[in-house]
Amino acid sequence: MRAVVVDEGRVRLADVPEPVIEDPGDAVVRITRASICGSDLHYLHGKTPVDPGGVMGHEAVGVVELVGESVRKVAPGDRVVLAFDIACGACWFCRRGESALCEDVRMLGGGPFLGSLPGTQAERARVPVADVNLLRIPAAVDDEHALFVGDALTTGYYAATTAALAPGDTIAVVGAGPVGYFCAQAARAMGAAVFAIDPDPARRAIAERSGVATVDPSGRHPEMALAEATEGRGADVAVDAVGSPSAFETAVGLVRRGGLVVIVGLYAAETTELQLGVFWARAITLRFTGLCPVHAWWERAMSEVEAGRIDPLPVISHRLSLEDAPRGYELFDRREAMKVVLAP
Amino acid sequence: MARFPTDPWFKEFARAINESDEYREAAATWEGEIAFVIEAEPDKRMPEDVWGFLDLWHGACRSGGVVGPEDGAAARYVIRAPYSRWKDVLLGDLDPVKGMMQGKLRVQGDLPTIVRYVRAANELVRLTGTVETEFPDEVPA
Repeated sequence: MRAVVVDEGRVRLADVPEPVIEDPGDAVVRITRASICGSDLHYLHGKTPVDPGGVMGHEAVGVVELVGESVRKVAPGDRVVLAFDIACGACWFCRRGESALCEDVRMLGGGPFLGSLPGTQAERARVPVADVNLLRIPAAVDDEHALFVGDALTTGYYAATTAALAPGDTIAVVGAGPVGYFCAQAARAMGAAVFAIDPDPARRAIAERSGVATVDPSGRHPEMALAEATEGRGADVAVDAVGSPSAFETAVGLVRRGGLVVIVGLYAAETTELQLGVFWARAITLRFTGLCPVHAWWERAMSEVEAGRIDPLPVISHRLSLEDAPRGYELFDRREAMKVVLAP
Repeated sequence: MARFPTDPWFKEFARAINESDEYREAAATWEGEIAFVIEAEPDKRMPEDVWGFLDLWHGACRSGGVVGPEDGAAARYVIRAPYSRWKDVLLGDLDPVKGMMQGKLRVQGDLPTIVRYVRAANELVRLTGTVETEFPDEVPA
Protein backbone atom coordinates (compact mmCIF):
# COMPACT_ATOMS: atom_id res chain seq x y z
CA MET A 1 0.00 0.00 0.00
CA ARG A 2 1.03 3.66 -0.35
CA ALA A 3 2.25 5.55 2.69
CA VAL A 4 4.20 8.68 3.64
CA VAL A 5 7.51 7.66 5.16
CA VAL A 6 10.40 9.63 6.65
CA ASP A 7 14.04 9.09 5.80
CA GLU A 8 16.99 11.28 6.74
CA GLY A 9 15.03 14.45 7.27
CA ARG A 10 12.66 14.24 4.33
CA VAL A 11 9.32 12.63 3.63
CA ARG A 12 8.39 10.67 0.54
CA LEU A 13 5.66 8.40 -0.73
CA ALA A 14 6.56 4.71 -0.60
CA ASP A 15 5.10 1.25 -0.95
CA VAL A 16 4.96 -0.46 2.43
CA PRO A 17 3.46 -3.76 3.58
CA GLU A 18 -0.30 -3.85 4.24
CA PRO A 19 -1.09 -3.91 7.98
CA VAL A 20 -2.55 -7.13 9.37
CA ILE A 21 -4.16 -8.19 12.62
CA GLU A 22 -1.23 -9.00 14.90
CA ASP A 23 -3.10 -9.20 18.19
CA PRO A 24 -6.71 -10.18 19.04
CA GLY A 25 -7.37 -6.60 20.16
CA ASP A 26 -6.23 -5.02 16.88
CA ALA A 27 -8.24 -3.38 14.13
CA VAL A 28 -7.16 -2.41 10.64
CA VAL A 29 -8.63 0.88 9.49
CA ARG A 30 -8.83 2.15 5.90
CA ILE A 31 -7.81 5.76 6.22
CA THR A 32 -10.13 8.27 4.54
CA ARG A 33 -8.51 11.45 5.85
CA ALA A 34 -5.20 12.06 7.64
CA SER A 35 -3.53 15.31 8.60
CA ILE A 36 -0.08 16.71 9.24
CA CYS A 37 0.45 17.79 12.84
CA GLY A 38 3.04 20.13 14.35
CA SER A 39 4.64 17.24 16.19
CA ASP A 40 5.24 15.48 12.82
CA LEU A 41 7.80 18.21 12.18
CA HIS A 42 9.71 17.08 15.26
CA TYR A 43 10.21 13.74 13.56
CA LEU A 44 11.00 15.33 10.24
CA HIS A 45 13.71 17.50 11.77
CA GLY A 46 15.15 14.80 13.99
CA LYS A 47 14.14 16.39 17.30
CA THR A 48 12.44 13.10 18.10
CA PRO A 49 13.91 9.83 16.86
CA VAL A 50 12.22 8.05 13.97
CA ASP A 51 12.34 4.56 12.61
CA PRO A 52 14.09 4.89 9.22
CA GLY A 53 11.40 4.42 6.59
CA GLY A 54 8.71 4.60 9.27
CA VAL A 55 5.19 5.67 8.30
CA MET A 56 4.35 9.19 9.49
CA GLY A 57 1.22 10.63 11.07
CA HIS A 58 -1.12 10.15 13.98
CA GLU A 59 -4.25 12.19 13.17
CA ALA A 60 -6.74 10.29 11.05
CA VAL A 61 -10.25 9.04 10.47
CA GLY A 62 -11.33 6.03 8.46
CA VAL A 63 -13.45 2.94 8.14
CA VAL A 64 -12.80 -0.27 10.06
CA GLU A 65 -11.94 -3.11 7.68
CA LEU A 66 -10.71 -5.89 9.96
CA VAL A 67 -10.96 -6.58 13.68
CA GLY A 68 -9.26 -9.13 15.93
CA GLU A 69 -11.33 -11.72 17.71
CA SER A 70 -11.46 -9.89 21.05
CA VAL A 71 -12.65 -6.54 19.65
CA ARG A 72 -16.19 -5.71 20.83
CA LYS A 73 -16.84 -1.98 20.47
CA VAL A 74 -16.17 -1.48 16.77
CA ALA A 75 -16.90 -3.62 13.75
CA PRO A 76 -16.00 -3.65 10.05
CA GLY A 77 -17.77 -0.82 8.28
CA ASP A 78 -17.77 1.54 11.28
CA ARG A 79 -16.53 5.06 10.65
CA VAL A 80 -13.99 5.86 13.34
CA VAL A 81 -11.49 8.43 14.56
CA LEU A 82 -8.12 7.17 15.78
CA ALA A 83 -6.50 8.21 19.05
CA PHE A 84 -3.07 9.71 18.45
CA ASP A 85 -1.75 8.14 21.65
CA ILE A 86 -2.35 4.43 21.92
CA ALA A 87 -3.29 3.44 25.47
CA CYS A 88 -3.69 0.02 27.05
CA GLY A 89 -6.96 0.96 28.72
CA ALA A 90 -6.27 -1.33 31.65
CA CYS A 91 -3.46 0.14 33.77
CA TRP A 92 -3.93 2.32 36.88
CA PHE A 93 -3.56 5.57 34.89
CA CYS A 94 -5.92 4.50 32.12
CA ARG A 95 -8.58 3.49 34.65
CA ARG A 96 -8.32 6.99 36.15
CA GLY A 97 -8.84 8.60 32.77
CA GLU A 98 -5.20 9.64 32.53
CA SER A 99 -4.52 7.57 29.46
CA ALA A 100 -1.69 9.80 28.20
CA LEU A 101 0.24 8.57 31.23
CA CYS A 102 -0.49 4.92 30.37
CA GLU A 103 2.16 2.47 31.52
CA ASP A 104 2.35 1.21 27.94
CA VAL A 105 1.65 4.44 26.06
CA ARG A 106 2.47 4.28 22.38
CA MET A 107 1.81 6.58 19.49
CA LEU A 108 0.90 5.95 15.90
CA GLY A 109 3.89 7.12 13.88
CA GLY A 110 5.63 7.91 17.17
CA GLY A 111 9.02 6.31 16.45
CA PRO A 112 11.10 4.06 18.69
CA PHE A 113 10.43 6.06 21.87
CA LEU A 114 6.71 5.42 21.51
CA GLY A 115 6.34 1.87 20.36
CA SER A 116 7.46 2.04 16.70
CA LEU A 117 3.88 1.79 15.44
CA PRO A 118 3.40 2.71 11.77
CA GLY A 119 1.54 5.98 11.37
CA THR A 120 -1.67 7.06 9.70
CA GLN A 121 -0.53 8.94 6.59
CA ALA A 122 -1.20 5.78 4.63
CA GLU A 123 -3.98 3.89 2.96
CA ARG A 124 -4.44 1.70 6.02
CA ALA A 125 -3.28 1.58 9.64
CA ARG A 126 -3.25 -1.04 12.36
CA VAL A 127 -4.71 0.21 15.64
CA PRO A 128 -3.82 -1.80 18.78
CA VAL A 129 -6.40 -2.19 21.56
CA ALA A 130 -9.06 -1.01 19.15
CA ASP A 131 -11.81 -0.98 21.77
CA VAL A 132 -9.89 1.78 23.58
CA ASN A 133 -8.22 3.65 20.75
CA LEU A 134 -11.02 4.01 18.21
CA LEU A 135 -14.10 6.18 18.60
CA ARG A 136 -17.13 5.72 16.38
CA ILE A 137 -18.10 8.86 14.50
CA PRO A 138 -21.75 9.93 14.79
CA ALA A 139 -23.68 9.76 11.51
CA ALA A 140 -24.25 13.52 11.52
CA VAL A 141 -20.52 14.28 11.68
CA ASP A 142 -18.51 14.03 8.45
CA ASP A 143 -14.92 12.90 8.25
CA GLU A 144 -13.33 16.35 8.19
CA HIS A 145 -15.33 17.50 11.20
CA ALA A 146 -14.23 14.39 13.10
CA LEU A 147 -10.60 14.31 11.96
CA PHE A 148 -9.03 16.39 14.72
CA VAL A 149 -11.00 14.81 17.57
CA GLY A 150 -8.25 12.21 17.87
CA ASP A 151 -5.64 14.87 18.66
CA ALA A 152 -5.55 18.67 18.18
CA LEU A 153 -9.22 19.42 18.75
CA THR A 154 -9.54 17.37 21.90
CA THR A 155 -6.18 18.70 23.11
CA GLY A 156 -7.48 22.27 22.80
CA TYR A 157 -10.78 21.29 24.39
CA TYR A 158 -8.89 19.58 27.23
CA ALA A 159 -6.79 22.72 27.81
CA ALA A 160 -9.94 24.84 28.09
CA THR A 161 -11.55 22.30 30.40
CA THR A 162 -8.43 22.23 32.55
CA ALA A 163 -8.88 25.98 32.98
CA ALA A 164 -12.14 25.31 34.87
CA LEU A 165 -13.67 28.47 33.42
CA ALA A 166 -16.77 30.11 34.78
CA PRO A 167 -19.00 32.22 32.53
CA GLY A 168 -17.55 35.70 32.32
CA ASP A 169 -14.00 34.65 33.09
CA THR A 170 -11.28 36.03 30.87
CA ILE A 171 -8.87 33.66 29.17
CA ALA A 172 -5.85 34.60 27.10
CA VAL A 173 -4.63 31.99 24.64
CA VAL A 174 -1.04 32.50 23.51
CA GLY A 175 -0.76 31.03 20.04
CA ALA A 176 -3.67 30.74 17.61
CA GLY A 177 -2.49 27.64 15.79
CA PRO A 178 -4.78 24.61 15.70
CA VAL A 179 -4.56 23.75 19.41
CA GLY A 180 -4.90 27.41 20.42
CA TYR A 181 -7.83 27.86 18.04
CA PHE A 182 -9.65 24.82 19.44
CA CYS A 183 -8.92 25.93 23.01
CA ALA A 184 -10.31 29.37 22.22
CA GLN A 185 -13.42 27.86 20.60
CA ALA A 186 -14.03 25.61 23.59
CA ALA A 187 -13.48 28.45 26.06
CA ARG A 188 -15.90 30.64 24.14
CA ALA A 189 -18.50 27.86 24.26
CA MET A 190 -18.00 27.81 28.05
CA GLY A 191 -18.99 31.46 28.23
CA ALA A 192 -15.54 32.97 28.75
CA ALA A 193 -14.24 36.17 27.21
CA VAL A 194 -11.44 34.91 24.98
CA PHE A 195 -8.37 36.74 23.70
CA ALA A 196 -6.06 34.96 21.25
CA ILE A 197 -2.53 36.35 20.90
CA ASP A 198 -0.64 35.58 17.71
CA PRO A 199 1.59 37.61 15.37
CA ASP A 200 0.30 35.72 12.30
CA PRO A 201 -2.49 37.76 10.66
CA ALA A 202 -3.98 34.69 8.95
CA ARG A 203 -4.32 32.86 12.24
CA ARG A 204 -5.79 35.91 13.93
CA ALA A 205 -8.30 36.27 11.10
CA ILE A 206 -9.50 32.69 11.57
CA ALA A 207 -9.88 33.25 15.30
CA GLU A 208 -11.72 36.54 14.76
CA ARG A 209 -14.17 34.96 12.31
CA SER A 210 -15.10 32.50 15.04
CA GLY A 211 -15.92 35.30 17.47
CA VAL A 212 -12.66 35.47 19.41
CA ALA A 213 -10.95 38.78 20.20
CA THR A 214 -7.33 38.86 19.09
CA VAL A 215 -4.17 40.75 19.93
CA ASP A 216 -1.33 41.32 17.48
CA PRO A 217 1.73 41.45 19.74
CA SER A 218 3.66 43.40 17.12
CA GLY A 219 1.13 46.20 17.38
CA ARG A 220 -0.03 46.09 20.96
CA HIS A 221 1.58 44.77 24.14
CA PRO A 222 -0.51 41.71 25.12
CA GLU A 223 -0.07 42.37 28.83
CA MET A 224 -1.53 45.84 28.53
CA ALA A 225 -4.32 44.64 26.22
CA LEU A 226 -5.42 42.11 28.84
CA ALA A 227 -4.95 44.60 31.68
CA GLU A 228 -7.21 47.07 29.87
CA ALA A 229 -9.85 44.37 29.36
CA THR A 230 -9.89 43.37 33.04
CA GLU A 231 -9.74 46.61 35.00
CA GLY A 232 -5.98 46.19 35.33
CA ARG A 233 -6.06 42.69 36.84
CA GLY A 234 -4.99 40.47 33.94
CA ALA A 235 -6.58 37.30 32.61
CA ASP A 236 -8.09 34.75 34.96
CA VAL A 237 -6.45 32.05 32.89
CA ALA A 238 -3.63 32.19 30.38
CA VAL A 239 -2.86 29.27 28.09
CA ASP A 240 0.52 28.62 26.50
CA ALA A 241 -0.54 26.89 23.30
CA VAL A 242 2.84 27.26 21.64
CA GLY A 243 5.47 25.46 23.69
CA SER A 244 8.37 27.93 23.81
CA PRO A 245 9.94 29.78 26.74
CA SER A 246 8.85 33.13 25.30
CA ALA A 247 5.25 31.91 24.99
CA PHE A 248 5.39 30.63 28.56
CA GLU A 249 6.72 33.96 29.81
CA THR A 250 4.07 35.81 27.85
CA ALA A 251 1.36 33.65 29.41
CA VAL A 252 2.73 34.24 32.90
CA GLY A 253 2.73 37.98 32.25
CA LEU A 254 -0.91 37.95 31.17
CA VAL A 255 -2.46 36.19 34.13
CA ARG A 256 -3.83 38.00 37.16
CA ARG A 257 -2.76 37.41 40.75
CA GLY A 258 -4.29 34.12 41.88
CA GLY A 259 -4.74 33.06 38.27
CA LEU A 260 -3.98 29.88 36.40
CA VAL A 261 -1.47 29.27 33.64
CA VAL A 262 -2.22 26.19 31.54
CA ILE A 263 0.74 24.89 29.56
CA VAL A 264 -0.53 22.75 26.71
CA GLY A 265 2.21 23.58 24.17
CA LEU A 266 4.71 20.78 23.78
CA TYR A 267 8.05 21.05 25.58
CA ALA A 268 11.14 18.87 25.35
CA ALA A 269 14.53 20.21 26.47
CA GLU A 270 13.73 23.91 26.90
CA THR A 271 14.60 25.73 30.11
CA THR A 272 13.64 29.06 31.64
CA GLU A 273 14.34 31.01 34.82
CA LEU A 274 11.56 31.42 37.38
CA GLN A 275 11.42 33.91 40.26
CA LEU A 276 9.77 31.52 42.69
CA GLY A 277 9.04 34.31 45.17
CA VAL A 278 7.07 36.20 42.54
CA PHE A 279 5.09 33.12 41.60
CA TRP A 280 4.43 32.51 45.27
CA ALA A 281 3.45 36.10 46.01
CA ARG A 282 1.20 36.20 42.95
CA ALA A 283 -0.32 32.82 43.97
CA ILE A 284 -0.11 31.62 40.41
CA THR A 285 -1.06 28.05 39.61
CA LEU A 286 0.94 26.38 36.85
CA ARG A 287 -0.74 23.43 35.22
CA PHE A 288 1.23 21.38 32.70
CA THR A 289 -1.21 19.26 30.72
CA GLY A 290 1.30 16.87 29.18
CA LEU A 291 -0.10 14.91 26.27
CA CYS A 292 -3.86 15.04 26.13
CA PRO A 293 -5.62 11.94 27.48
CA VAL A 294 -7.92 11.95 24.47
CA HIS A 295 -9.70 8.77 25.49
CA ALA A 296 -11.22 10.46 28.53
CA TRP A 297 -12.31 13.56 26.63
CA TRP A 298 -12.97 12.75 23.00
CA GLU A 299 -16.62 11.83 23.39
CA ARG A 300 -17.29 15.22 24.99
CA ALA A 301 -15.21 16.94 22.32
CA MET A 302 -17.08 15.10 19.58
CA SER A 303 -20.36 16.26 21.16
CA GLU A 304 -19.15 19.85 20.94
CA VAL A 305 -18.42 19.33 17.24
CA GLU A 306 -21.75 17.63 16.62
CA ALA A 307 -23.56 20.48 18.39
CA GLY A 308 -21.68 23.05 16.30
CA ARG A 309 -20.05 24.71 19.30
CA ILE A 310 -16.60 23.87 17.93
CA ASP A 311 -16.11 24.16 14.19
CA PRO A 312 -12.86 22.54 13.04
CA LEU A 313 -13.09 23.31 9.34
CA PRO A 314 -11.61 26.85 9.47
CA VAL A 315 -8.20 25.46 10.46
CA ILE A 316 -7.94 23.38 7.28
CA SER A 317 -5.83 25.42 4.90
CA HIS A 318 -4.91 22.74 2.38
CA ARG A 319 -6.49 19.54 1.09
CA LEU A 320 -3.99 17.36 -0.78
CA SER A 321 -3.67 13.83 -2.08
CA LEU A 322 -1.31 11.40 -0.36
CA GLU A 323 1.06 11.84 -3.33
CA ASP A 324 1.27 15.55 -2.53
CA ALA A 325 2.21 14.95 1.12
CA PRO A 326 5.86 16.08 0.65
CA ARG A 327 4.56 19.43 -0.63
CA GLY A 328 2.16 19.57 2.30
CA TYR A 329 5.07 19.11 4.69
CA GLU A 330 6.99 21.89 2.94
CA LEU A 331 4.05 24.28 3.24
CA PHE A 332 3.52 23.33 6.86
CA ASP A 333 7.19 23.63 7.71
CA ARG A 334 7.28 27.14 6.20
CA ARG A 335 4.18 28.05 8.23
CA GLU A 336 2.30 28.66 5.02
CA ALA A 337 -0.28 26.09 6.03
CA MET A 338 -2.39 25.96 9.21
CA LYS A 339 -3.53 22.37 8.75
CA VAL A 340 -2.90 20.07 5.80
CA VAL A 341 -5.43 17.29 5.23
CA LEU A 342 -4.38 14.31 3.13
CA ALA A 343 -6.82 12.09 1.25
CA PRO A 344 -5.30 8.63 0.66
CA MET B 1 12.17 68.76 29.02
CA ALA B 2 13.37 65.25 28.19
CA ARG B 3 11.30 62.58 26.52
CA PHE B 4 11.00 59.26 28.32
CA PRO B 5 12.72 56.84 27.69
CA THR B 6 15.55 58.48 25.72
CA ASP B 7 19.26 58.78 26.44
CA PRO B 8 18.91 62.44 27.52
CA TRP B 9 16.16 61.45 29.93
CA PHE B 10 18.33 58.79 31.61
CA LYS B 11 21.26 61.22 31.77
CA GLU B 12 19.00 63.79 33.41
CA PHE B 13 17.78 61.11 35.82
CA ALA B 14 21.41 60.21 36.68
CA ARG B 15 22.12 63.87 37.42
CA ALA B 16 19.10 64.02 39.75
CA ILE B 17 20.26 60.88 41.57
CA ASN B 18 23.68 62.36 42.20
CA GLU B 19 22.12 65.48 43.67
CA SER B 20 20.04 63.52 46.20
CA ASP B 21 21.31 63.26 49.78
CA GLU B 22 18.47 60.91 50.60
CA TYR B 23 19.52 58.47 47.84
CA ARG B 24 23.21 58.72 48.81
CA GLU B 25 22.31 57.66 52.34
CA ALA B 26 19.70 55.01 51.50
CA ALA B 27 21.86 53.31 48.85
CA ALA B 28 25.22 53.74 50.61
CA THR B 29 25.95 50.01 50.37
CA TRP B 30 24.26 49.31 47.04
CA GLU B 31 26.53 47.81 44.39
CA GLY B 32 25.33 46.97 40.94
CA GLU B 33 24.06 48.18 37.60
CA ILE B 34 20.38 48.18 36.80
CA ALA B 35 18.99 47.86 33.29
CA PHE B 36 15.43 49.00 32.73
CA VAL B 37 13.74 47.40 29.73
CA ILE B 38 10.89 49.58 28.56
CA GLU B 39 8.99 47.15 26.35
CA ALA B 40 7.55 48.28 23.07
CA GLU B 41 3.95 49.40 22.81
CA PRO B 42 3.52 50.49 19.20
CA ASP B 43 0.03 51.78 19.89
CA LYS B 44 1.58 54.14 22.48
CA ARG B 45 4.25 55.39 20.06
CA MET B 46 6.83 53.07 21.53
CA PRO B 47 7.76 51.02 18.46
CA GLU B 48 10.75 49.18 19.97
CA ASP B 49 12.09 48.01 23.30
CA VAL B 50 14.42 50.55 24.94
CA TRP B 51 17.16 49.58 27.40
CA GLY B 52 17.88 52.24 29.99
CA PHE B 53 20.99 51.73 32.13
CA LEU B 54 22.17 53.09 35.47
CA ASP B 55 25.55 52.20 36.99
CA LEU B 56 24.76 52.61 40.67
CA TRP B 57 27.51 52.31 43.24
CA HIS B 58 27.55 53.25 46.92
CA GLY B 59 24.89 55.91 46.74
CA ALA B 60 25.96 57.47 43.45
CA CYS B 61 25.18 57.00 39.79
CA ARG B 62 28.45 56.57 37.92
CA SER B 63 26.77 56.70 34.52
CA GLY B 64 23.34 56.57 32.95
CA GLY B 65 21.88 56.38 29.47
CA VAL B 66 20.32 54.19 26.84
CA VAL B 67 22.33 51.12 25.82
CA GLY B 68 21.95 48.21 23.43
CA PRO B 69 20.36 44.93 24.55
CA GLU B 70 23.68 43.12 24.83
CA ASP B 71 25.18 45.74 27.15
CA GLY B 72 21.93 45.98 29.08
CA ALA B 73 21.65 42.24 29.60
CA ALA B 74 25.05 42.26 31.30
CA ALA B 75 23.67 44.37 34.17
CA ARG B 76 23.45 42.80 37.61
CA TYR B 77 19.72 43.50 37.67
CA VAL B 78 17.36 43.71 34.72
CA ILE B 79 13.83 44.97 35.29
CA ARG B 80 11.35 44.61 32.40
CA ALA B 81 7.86 45.96 31.91
CA PRO B 82 5.67 47.39 29.17
CA TYR B 83 6.06 51.12 28.59
CA SER B 84 2.69 51.84 30.24
CA ARG B 85 3.78 50.19 33.48
CA TRP B 86 6.91 52.37 33.62
CA LYS B 87 4.80 55.40 32.94
CA ASP B 88 2.62 54.42 35.91
CA VAL B 89 5.75 54.18 38.05
CA LEU B 90 6.94 57.62 36.96
CA LEU B 91 3.52 59.12 37.63
CA GLY B 92 3.42 57.55 41.09
CA ASP B 93 0.52 55.26 40.20
CA LEU B 94 2.50 52.04 40.61
CA ASP B 95 4.78 51.31 43.55
CA PRO B 96 7.83 49.63 41.99
CA VAL B 97 8.52 47.19 44.82
CA LYS B 98 4.87 46.17 44.94
CA GLY B 99 4.93 45.99 41.14
CA MET B 100 7.86 43.59 41.27
CA MET B 101 6.09 41.32 43.72
CA GLN B 102 2.93 41.43 41.62
CA GLY B 103 4.83 40.58 38.47
CA LYS B 104 3.97 43.88 36.80
CA LEU B 105 7.69 44.65 36.76
CA ARG B 106 9.70 41.52 36.03
CA VAL B 107 13.09 41.24 37.70
CA GLN B 108 16.11 39.24 36.66
CA GLY B 109 18.61 39.21 39.49
CA ASP B 110 18.37 38.85 43.22
CA LEU B 111 14.91 40.18 44.04
CA PRO B 112 15.33 40.08 47.87
CA THR B 113 18.34 42.38 47.60
CA ILE B 114 16.32 44.95 45.68
CA VAL B 115 13.46 44.68 48.14
CA ARG B 116 15.86 45.33 51.04
CA TYR B 117 16.68 48.68 49.46
CA VAL B 118 13.06 49.79 49.35
CA ARG B 119 13.94 53.25 50.72
CA ALA B 120 16.43 53.79 47.91
CA ALA B 121 13.91 52.50 45.37
CA ASN B 122 11.30 54.92 46.63
CA GLU B 123 13.77 57.79 46.37
CA LEU B 124 14.62 56.78 42.79
CA VAL B 125 10.92 56.93 41.95
CA ARG B 126 10.58 60.31 43.64
CA LEU B 127 13.57 61.57 41.68
CA THR B 128 11.98 60.57 38.36
CA GLY B 129 9.33 63.09 39.27
CA THR B 130 11.96 65.81 39.41
CA VAL B 131 12.96 65.17 35.80
CA GLU B 132 10.87 67.31 33.54
CA THR B 133 9.41 64.58 31.38
CA GLU B 134 7.30 64.26 28.28
CA PHE B 135 5.78 60.95 27.29
CA PRO B 136 5.70 59.81 23.66
CA ASP B 137 2.01 58.93 23.72
CA GLU B 138 1.13 62.41 24.97
CA VAL B 139 3.05 64.35 22.35
CA PRO B 140 0.85 65.54 19.47
CA ALA B 141 1.56 63.52 16.32
